[in-house]
Amino acid sequence: MTVRRILAFAIFLGLWEAVRRFNLVGPLLLASPSEIGSALIESGSEFILALRYTFFEIAVALAVTWSVGIATGVVAGMIPFMGAAGGPILSSLFAVPLITWYPLFMVWFGIGMTSKIAYAVVSGFFPIAINTLNGIRGLDRRYLQFGEAIGCSRRQVVFRILLPMALPSIVSGLRIGTALVVIGVIVAEMLASLGGIGFLISYYRSIYATGHVYLGILFALGCALLTNWGLSVIERRFMHWRELQIGER
Amino acid sequence: MKPLVLAAQAAFIVLLLGAWELGGSVGAFDPKLLPPPSEVAVALQALLQSQAFMADAFDTIVRVIAAFLIGAPIALATGFVMGENVGVGRSLSPAFNLVLSVPQSIFLPIFVLIFGLGFTEKLIFGITHVFFVVAVNAMAAVREVPHGQVMAARSFGASKIRIYRSIYLPAMAPQVVTGLRLGIIFDIIGILLAEMYASKSGLGVLLLRWGESYTVDKLMAATVLISIATILINELMRIWEARVGRWRQAVESA
Amino acid sequence: MKSDKPVVIETRRLGKTYGIGRAPIVALQDISFTVEEGSFVSLVGPSGCGKSTLLQMLAGLVSSTSGEILVDGVAVRKPLPGKISVMFQDATLLPWKRVSENIEFPLEIQGVKAAERRERAAAMLSLVGLSEFGARYPHELSGGMRQRVSIARALAPDPRIMLMDEPFGALDEQTRIKMGHELLRIWSKTKKTIFFITHSLTEAVFLSDIVLVMSHRPGKIVGTVDAGLPRPRTYDIIGSAEFGAARNRIWKLISQDDDETANEGLTSL
Repeated sequence: MTVRRILAFAIFLGLWEAVRRFNLVGPLLLASPSEIGSALIESGSEFILALRYTFFEIAVALAVTWSVGIATGVVAGMIPFMGAAGGPILSSLFAVPLITWYPLFMVWFGIGMTSKIAYAVVSGFFPIAINTLNGIRGLDRRYLQFGEAIGCSRRQVVFRILLPMALPSIVSGLRIGTALVVIGVIVAEMLASLGGIGFLISYYRSIYATGHVYLGILFALGCALLTNWGLSVIERRFMHWRELQIGER
Repeated sequence: MKPLVLAAQAAFIVLLLGAWELGGSVGAFDPKLLPPPSEVAVALQALLQSQAFMADAFDTIVRVIAAFLIGAPIALATGFVMGENVGVGRSLSPAFNLVLSVPQSIFLPIFVLIFGLGFTEKLIFGITHVFFVVAVNAMAAVREVPHGQVMAARSFGASKIRIYRSIYLPAMAPQVVTGLRLGIIFDIIGILLAEMYASKSGLGVLLLRWGESYTVDKLMAATVLISIATILINELMRIWEARVGRWRQAVESA
Repeated sequence: MKSDKPVVIETRRLGKTYGIGRAPIVALQDISFTVEEGSFVSLVGPSGCGKSTLLQMLAGLVSSTSGEILVDGVAVRKPLPGKISVMFQDATLLPWKRVSENIEFPLEIQGVKAAERRERAAAMLSLVGLSEFGARYPHELSGGMRQRVSIARALAPDPRIMLMDEPFGALDEQTRIKMGHELLRIWSKTKKTIFFITHSLTEAVFLSDIVLVMSHRPGKIVGTVDAGLPRPRTYDIIGSAEFGAARNRIWKLISQDDDETANEGLTSL
């Protein structure tokens, strides 16, 4: 299976290279694998530096989004009135094209890292808060009664029963939210910034260095796939019980 | 509970607006950076009367609608075929899921390289935003069709058209509308992003230009306008969704 | 009911009314009964008659609006973990914990030391016949096995009273019969007082010493039937004349409530 996959990938790369070599598509539109490779050799260190910049923004934004998103969801989920009033507001706001708020963030926080982090935080916040809220509201009430009956304190009910029960739904919120944070940072960099992978992509596009543009996009994809992979590792570590449970139903 | 909830929501919004209005004058933040709602309202009124602004807004709306009108029907047909035809669905759905899991906005520079800065690039970028989410939801909708009822109808000798209209349509409608709702929201986001990134006209261009030149009152007015418009579209679609999904509650409570 | 065994549960004119103001809904009215130490008492009644509410009140999870509940002569106002265990229709096992960890959980909350917890859990597992499954996760077990784990978990703190809210209601017929046997076996070994809710008349008569019969709207106890069958019981007893007579008495009590719709959800099985 893996051999076939590698073979398929090699054929794909070969075709891609051929399309460019025979000039079926102009050099401005498409960069061949070898052109992307030479861009990497030429400006690799620059991209690595930019990657560090982008990673820093992503890390800060994720720390804020996760904690604020989960906390909001838990509070709104625990207090029925807050959930009933806040839930619709959250899901209405989720529809807002947040990208249109980015220019305002530029005005408020400048063109540096802070505006990217702010934009990424708001775009990742809603799915995390909404999923946490729904996860907690959707729990079988009998689990709460069970907790009370065995003498759990309110704290114990939250941390030992509610949160672990709602974990699958929280994690699926985290998946969506994290992806939005990563893309948010890079897209914001593409629009207006001083550094980072998105900045390089936009810069090289404006000077028509197509190989570098494709290289930057590959790096950006790498960021998205890497965080996604990291989350699925966490998911498997903590929720081995879940997939089996679903498979059985 | 219900009126209390609505009252709480209204109170929240009023409080927010009040804090925004008063915060600048008491010095909690710089009113030049965050103009109070009253000033934003004035700016908004001026924008709505400005022909230049309306021309840009018109361009954006045309792009959004065109992308939706082209993307959605193709997506519905594709999704339906994928859902009905197990073989097609099974061979195509991994590719769909892959595309859905990869952030499309990152590829925006490639769209610009290939299609330039004009209408075509925006249209195609918008269509890709509409297409996948609508198709995947349409495919999922087919799974909602009750096969027992289809069998029963066939045994009564119902025609294919009759079966599609009386069983498929109501069963699929809620999920399809969910897809369309998400499709139009994604469409709006895609078009505005493409305009902000590189364009000669459209609301996105204005937003970024005003952001770079610190024209905060107009920027705020336009941003709020777009946000409210999208929320309204989303809520209207949700009402439609609930309407076509009424049978679900009826079935559950029976 | 004229024995000299001490009374563990006593309710006095217990009532529950929902809603305030003009349209109060009387869910439970004038519920008075006693349960003797070590006896097996069932409560049957149509769906929505307030059986579960009554059980939750006995468990101290829901408050009453009138009357009182005494357990060992003391009024119940909050859950009494360690003294009263509750079992629900769904096993309510924590899916991320292994079976033995699930059984240990109530003990952990009560602050029992790890070594003792482990010992208790092992003893309970062998009591319910699942010794080999301690390291499994709940989703790896069948529905019947999960309910057995739930029984083990309820027994682990060595309570005096087990309150069971239709514990076998979600199981298929065969498993349900087996679980009934199993419960009687465990009961005969542990001698707990069991208060058992069901909507199956057969299950009630087969398991119980005493069957309390409840009516609908408002929920009231309309009669008490002494099953009067010898123990140990086997499934054959269901065919006996005595069994049929006891079941008929219950059925008559219920159908005095002439309203047909009121008896929805009752199975004579």
